Amino acid sequence: MSRSYDRALTVFSPDGHLFQVEYALEAVRKGTCAVGVRGKDVVVLGVEKKSVLQLQDPRTVRKVAMLDDHVCLAFAGLTADGRVLIDKARIECQSHRLTVEDPVTVEYITRYIAGIQQKYTQSGGVRPFGISTLIVGFDPHDSKPRLYQTEPSGIYSAWKANAIGRSSKTVREFLEKNHKDELSREDTIKLTVKSLLEVVQTGAKNIEISVMESYGKVTSLALSEIEAIVADIEKEKEAEAERKRSRLAATAAGQAAMSQRATEPGPSS
Amino acid sequence: METSFALTGKGYVIIAADTTAARSIVKMKVDEDKIKALGPHLLMAYSGEPGDTVQFAEYVERNIRLYQIRNTYSLRPSAAASWVRRSLAESLRSRHPYSVNLLLGGYDTASYDPHLYWIDYLGTISEVPFAAHGYGSYFALSLLDRYHNPEATLEEGLETLKRCIDEVTKRLVVSPGKYKVKVVDKDGVREVEI
Amino acid sequence: MNSLAQRFSNNGPLAQIGKATSLVSEDDDFSDAAWGSEAGFGSVAKGVPTFTVPNVPDPTAFLRLHTDDHADPSCRIKIQHGTTTLAFRFQGGVIVAVDSRATAGSYIASGTVKKVIEINPYLLGTMAGGAADCQYWETYLGMHCRLHELRNKERISVSAASKFLSNLVYSYKGMGLSMGTMICGWDKTGPAIFYVDSDGTRLKGDLFSVGSGSTFAYGVLDQGYRWDLTDAEAQELGRRSIYAAGHRDAFSGNTVNLYHVKEHGWDFIGNYDVNKLHYDGPGDVAGSPGHGYGYDVRTVGLSSANPPAAAASA
Repeated sequence: MSRSYDRALTVFSPDGHLFQVEYALEAVRKGTCAVGVRGKDVVVLGVEKKSVLQLQDPRTVRKVAMLDDHVCLAFAGLTADGRVLIDKARIECQSHRLTVEDPVTVEYITRYIAGIQQKYTQSGGVRPFGISTLIVGFDPHDSKPRLYQTEPSGIYSAWKANAIGRSSKTVREFLEKNHKDELSREDTIKLTVKSLLEVVQTGAKNIEISVMESYGKVTSLALSEIEAIVADIEKEKEAEAERKRSRLAATAAGQAAMSQRATEPGPSS
Repeated sequence: METSFALTGKGYVIIAADTTAARSIVKMKVDEDKIKALGPHLLMAYSGEPGDTVQFAEYVERNIRLYQIRNTYSLRPSAAASWVRRSLAESLRSRHPYSVNLLLGGYDTASYDPHLYWIDYLGTISEVPFAAHGYGSYFALSLLDRYHNPEATLEEGLETLKRCIDEVTKRLVVSPGKYKVKVVDKDGVREVEI
Repeated sequence: MNSLAQRFSNNGPLAQIGKATSLVSEDDDFSDAAWGSEAGFGSVAKGVPTFTVPNVPDPTAFLRLHTDDHADPSCRIKIQHGTTTLAFRFQGGVIVAVDSRATAGSYIASGTVKKVIEINPYLLGTMAGGAADCQYWETYLGMHCRLHELRNKERISVSAASKFLSNLVYSYKGMGLSMGTMICGWDKTGPAIFYVDSDGTRLKGDLFSVGSGSTFAYGVLDQGYRWDLTDAEAQELGRRSIYAAGHRDAFSGNTVNLYHVKEHGWDFIGNYDVNKLHYDGPGDVAGSPGHGYGYDVRTVGLSSANPPAAAASA
């Protein structure tokens, strides 16, 4: 009962900060970027894959995990912490089916995960999880795609589109500018890839995309598919740049003509 | 009285279980499914103490599913059977043992053969070509000794199963009315009408 | 988790002893059960079920010793056993009907027992077996249904509620609980009935009857049951089935309580005296046949005599 009050590593600083939690957020900011975008009836997760070493097996490095038939999770931060949290969540998904008979709702499992994360900010002798997560999926008997985020502090919130990890601020701003409601499947995937390209310089081979289309229907895009989308985007960008250039040229020409006309001697009055 | 049968054939396992849920002299339900699909290629029929049966079956179901989610691949029939047996054996030595008898049938997609395990509530396991639990076993086992053919096609297998059911219906005083029959083979698990 | 972390932080023998004692008095920990689905078990404050059992080596034997009224009519505790309850699903929702007699041994302890437990406005539980067990655990179930609602912002499904109850009683299996109940309600999936008993059995179905009079109720119920019954017909069938049990079963009777569960929740239809039903019928209600249910009343003036025409006219 009256066990010592100083067991906890996570204690308030005099000005009300929990430094350990803020350091955990710092670990998240160092992690590879993950993006989630909600479309009309689809939800897409995109993650930045670290380049694997030459002799490493890329299949053993995964940042998107299935929690249950209808829920997927991507995280940014300490991969090792992620694994632990994912396992706890997977067990809860099955335990929920066992005790309540229904599968979990996306919000429920998000709340559960955030609950664990919160617990690790208030228990003795532990440190917070150094990860933020994006959780996507469909609720049972429902066609609305869901997207949630959790943070090391235990905060959770729902989003239309969001990014976590490295340069997440840039990506989020990009999403804020470009996200529209009721995106089609293709547009949702494209927006995800596009936003990731904001921070992933190396292109398609370092991007992993998971698409969830309805309850229990998840597909991972193959490298070739992502490459095609990236090429498409590049072409668009090229065209856009071309248009800009020609517009610029046109304005320049126009301006030149104007100034030409200005310097020309007018008709004598 | 609760009865379940299972038999293997060329590339498949058939499992059949009665569908009555009784309490004292009353049939509370006549369409209860007592065969669970534990995975893409795994079936389990359960019978025994009311309450224990479903609790144990669902416990097994969720753990096998958890294994599949964690490891991408499902347990093979032999591994699943061992795990189930151990769970029962551990429960037997606890304060509240599960009194559940099982028939576990699966198709091993790695070695392309069907497997059938007979497991009882004491944790006995035995891999067999055919099996039965309950009063029906007193009639069916000898019948299967006589008629079972390991190379039988699915149609022939179902024919043999029908012999068992007919025999039990004919001779057992309190024979169950209806059976649910499921098959597992290379294409997965499905229910069949007989 | 704390005890695990402690093991890594201090290893001295003193710390080991400290750990051992702290494990015993570890009640300032909050477990996963506080918000996980494990909250399906146990009380609200703690994650684990707590219930006081007799402080004797073998509580089950103790209970049996003092409740077995067949072997010992003078035993201290007499558990209420005789009952008839029924519930069935049909096109217009769920009908729940019960009798109201409480017997303790051969003594009628009460004739006005409420055997339908109103868990909340859209869930009903019926009571057969130990009255206390049913009342206590179904009220407790109601508490958790409300908590589920607050946590998940939606009503609990009938399936989840019944599963909660069945897991709960299953954890007390073999310890003397005696319940046979039907959890009835309306959720996203429509009307639903689950039979849950103290063995831990849980069955989903369209039609159940529980209690000593259930066989009599089944006799009338099964014969009159159709999915496309009208509301009035269904209510009449429920009433008449309980009457039948009340008439034939010595441990059931007195009055019938009738409920109808619809999309918006349950309605209490009425309370009917079994004797009145026998002689006069249910009175001016929907589905009433306009006469008594009793065999003698129903067949008054009818005769099976088959005299030849000559004898009849004579």
